[in-house]
Amino acid sequence: MSNIIETEGLSKQYGNIYRVKDVDLKVPEGAIYGFLGPNGAGKSTTLKMILGLAKPTEGEIAVFGKRVNSKNRLENLKNVGSLIESPSYYGHLTGEENLRIFQTLRGVPKQNITEVLKIVRLENQQSKKVSQYSLGMKQRLGLASALLGYPKLLILDEPTNGLDPAGISEMRELIQSLPQKFGMTVVVSSHLLSEIDQLATRVGIIREGELVYQDSLTKLHQYSKQHLAVRTMNNEVTKAFLSQNGVAWEAEDDYLIIPQMKDTMMAEISKALGQNNIGLVRIEERKKSLEDIFLELTGTAVSL
Amino acid sequence: MSAAIGMEVLKTKGRKIWLVVAVMMAVQLLWAGWAISNKDANDLIQGWMFFLYQFPMLNCIIMPVIAAVVASRLSDVEHKGQTFKLLETIIPAQRIFAAKFIWGSIYMLGAALGQLAIMIGMGFVLHFGGPVPWGALASYLFFTLVVSLTIYIFQQGVSMLVANQMVPMTLGLVGGFIGLFSMFFPQGLQKLILWSYYGVLMQVGMNWDETTRATDFYWTAIDWSGLGLILVFFVLIYGIGRILFVRREV
Repeated sequence: MSNIIETEGLSKQYGNIYRVKDVDLKVPEGAIYGFLGPNGAGKSTTLKMILGLAKPTEGEIAVFGKRVNSKNRLENLKNVGSLIESPSYYGHLTGEENLRIFQTLRGVPKQNITEVLKIVRLENQQSKKVSQYSLGMKQRLGLASALLGYPKLLILDEPTNGLDPAGISEMRELIQSLPQKFGMTVVVSSHLLSEIDQLATRVGIIREGELVYQDSLTKLHQYSKQHLAVRTMNNEVTKAFLSQNGVAWEAEDDYLIIPQMKDTMMAEISKALGQNNIGLVRIEERKKSLEDIFLELTGTAVSL
Repeated sequence: MSAAIGMEVLKTKGRKIWLVVAVMMAVQLLWAGWAISNKDANDLIQGWMFFLYQFPMLNCIIMPVIAAVVASRLSDVEHKGQTFKLLETIIPAQRIFAAKFIWGSIYMLGAALGQLAIMIGMGFVLHFGGPVPWGALASYLFFTLVVSLTIYIFQQGVSMLVANQMVPMTLGLVGGFIGLFSMFFPQGLQKLILWSYYGVLMQVGMNWDETTRATDFYWTAIDWSGLGLILVFFVLIYGIGRILFVRREV
């Protein structure tokens, strides 16, 4: 699977502070890529650099396999729709007029306006001034603007910001339907773990400007599976014993963390340890939640 | 570019910008009417010259206000709706800057033509003496436009770069007052102030006799160096404004 976005050592420095540092983002084609991180971690800055709205201090960006520079930026962005931070709109104009502005400037067919209004379920509100829209409607209009040219890549920065639970759920459904319906690749940033968990197929976690995790969401979930924590009178001998018997272990404080296993297998280990005069002090079942993993990775309390 | 200008027109829908221009023209009409109301038939012989002296002075305050309001109204819709970050992923920033300038210039042209119409209309109604000085009136229109567009591009640059529109509005008002008072400054100093160029490019001078309290107007030579300088100012301000707008990060 080829990558639609690929960054290499992408950095952005303001004064002496790096807001984004050495980020190697890889967004596979057809994925819903969840870009997760606490507020101020550098998500928006990274996305703005990909869109050419901020200039990288260091590093390279390739979109659709082409290295982005100031000359080919707009040509590359023809196949990219975006909604950065908050929706862009002219409050004194109607929803339809707003879309007409962006449709004309994009040079896409006029009928796209009607189609995208239908997709975001705003067709009945198109003649209303946007200043009278609710926040949810404005977000949907922002999404409609991004969809106007049916782009291959959609970049959505915190699209559910400020929405109520019903609005969040509606927006999520909409975003989830896009790759299947239109073959789009979607990058969606959020500080909400639960949102990315329900939406993304692949995830990148950014912390203080650095990408600390990037892989499939399934793999992230694997980290959160149940484990057993074993404490013995002699952990060093136990380590060797476990290794000899092909049981993976990981030392954590006074415990050895081993994978979840059948009771019969655990009984075998317990018996074998006893036969080798290694006293078994404690066996605990442990489970890392996704939030714990996020907290470990970002060092920040998770927003649910 | 035509699409970008067309969209600027759509964006101003319902913004009543022409109303501002019309109100300022009404003020200019009332002022001109009041100024000429106490003139007798003898004074009206120099009616054209009187207007060509009075209007540039009035323009020092009126045109900068129009420029500030128009530039601000065209730019604040973008700041309020945070649209630059979307627009700049669709069309080049320099095109946004140019389209705004072209559409804003139409308002400034409208204002300049409006005051020319006031002058000619009043001249015909009040039967000013001598032939209509078409050449001087055309020059007046040209000079007014050159100065107004230079002030406008300055205002547009500030309005597009600064989200708080109080800043360009205040600059416009302060500039207008400085321009008006610069009439009393030495010519060398006048040429350093953008807003004083309505006076620098005036085609009529005035003699005032203290004892008889009579005024006498006379044609003056066009200040070509002043015209050259304001054109240089225009190019510089447009270039700098555009560079700053293109380079800034949204």
